Amino acid sequence: MYAGPVGLANQIHDYNVHIDSNDVFWMIPVEHDAVKVDFDDPRASLQVNNLRVFDDHDLANSLTLGMGLPGDLGFPYPKIDPVAPVRATVSFDVEWSGIANHAQIKNSAQNFKGSFLSANATIKWSAEQPGFRFESEASTNLISVLGREQNGVFFA
Amino acid sequence: MNEQDSIARKKLEQRQLGRRNLIRVAAGAVVGAGLLRPNPAFADDDEHEQTARALTNPIPGFITPFKPFGVVVHHNPLKPANRLDMAHISDPSQITDFDGFVGLTHISGSGTGTNTVTGASAILAFGADMGFSQGKFIGIDGRHHEGTFAFV
Repeated sequence: MYAGPVGLANQIHDYNVHIDSNDVFWMIPVEHDAVKVDFDDPRASLQVNNLRVFDDHDLANSLTLGMGLPGDLGFPYPKIDPVAPVRATVSFDVEWSGIANHAQIKNSAQNFKGSFLSANATIKWSAEQPGFRFESEASTNLISVLGREQNGVFFA
Repeated sequence: MNEQDSIARKKLEQRQLGRRNLIRVAAGAVVGAGLLRPNPAFADDDEHEQTARALTNPIPGFITPFKPFGVVVHHNPLKPANRLDMAHISDPSQITDFDGFVGLTHISGSGTGTNTVTGASAILAFGADMGFSQGKFIGIDGRHHEGTFAFV
């Protein structure tokens, strides 16, 4: 979330569930019914209410574990002050529908294969934490994908 | 502890060690900038949440967005240029040894942020990468599981 034009230097909230102790990125188990998929129609939805997350303030602090970025050592990043995460809750309803494109992929380099659809998507979400509340009003799909895939040991 | 459990435990310990070392390197690189401090990011993670989440394995592919300062990120961000060129997307799953449905979206928008102390509100822009995985997977314990995950 940004106060001003979208960009790291203007980011004021970054909600995520943190990387888990096994290095899986931003994934958290949810109820089976939270996800509904109809790959033939095709459409899908992800609905979760009051999920406990962290607000890391910005992506740089999220991915440097709260250490920020120095900004003065010749790297192409702005200076980002260190910020400790705070607890927050988010609720969201993401909907995928329609097909813009389709591909059958077998990628031996990345060990994954499957059927993939480029879909339209919308999101309605809200966040709440001490002193702040957010409610989304409009969204614009940039790229969204639905897939039926196999990877790792299931790739053959 | 049987051999399978022992291997899984060893694999987990190696991953955690590798990650700690990476963080240490990143921290060492910014000592001169005065940014070294205790890492609070995971200090208040609830233990039961971590236990429940630590069952899956990450995809082997990764990016390092703030190299050399950030952690390794096992994720393939969607590129808007691939919207009409799906044949060249990278694996959208965050979990490996997985067989099931995945959804991923890279989406932007706006909404109203409210300071709940003062009541002041403002229109704020957002960008979100959200998704899900639902299906079967081989866990770090080497066993088959079924699960539903949100990418948040």
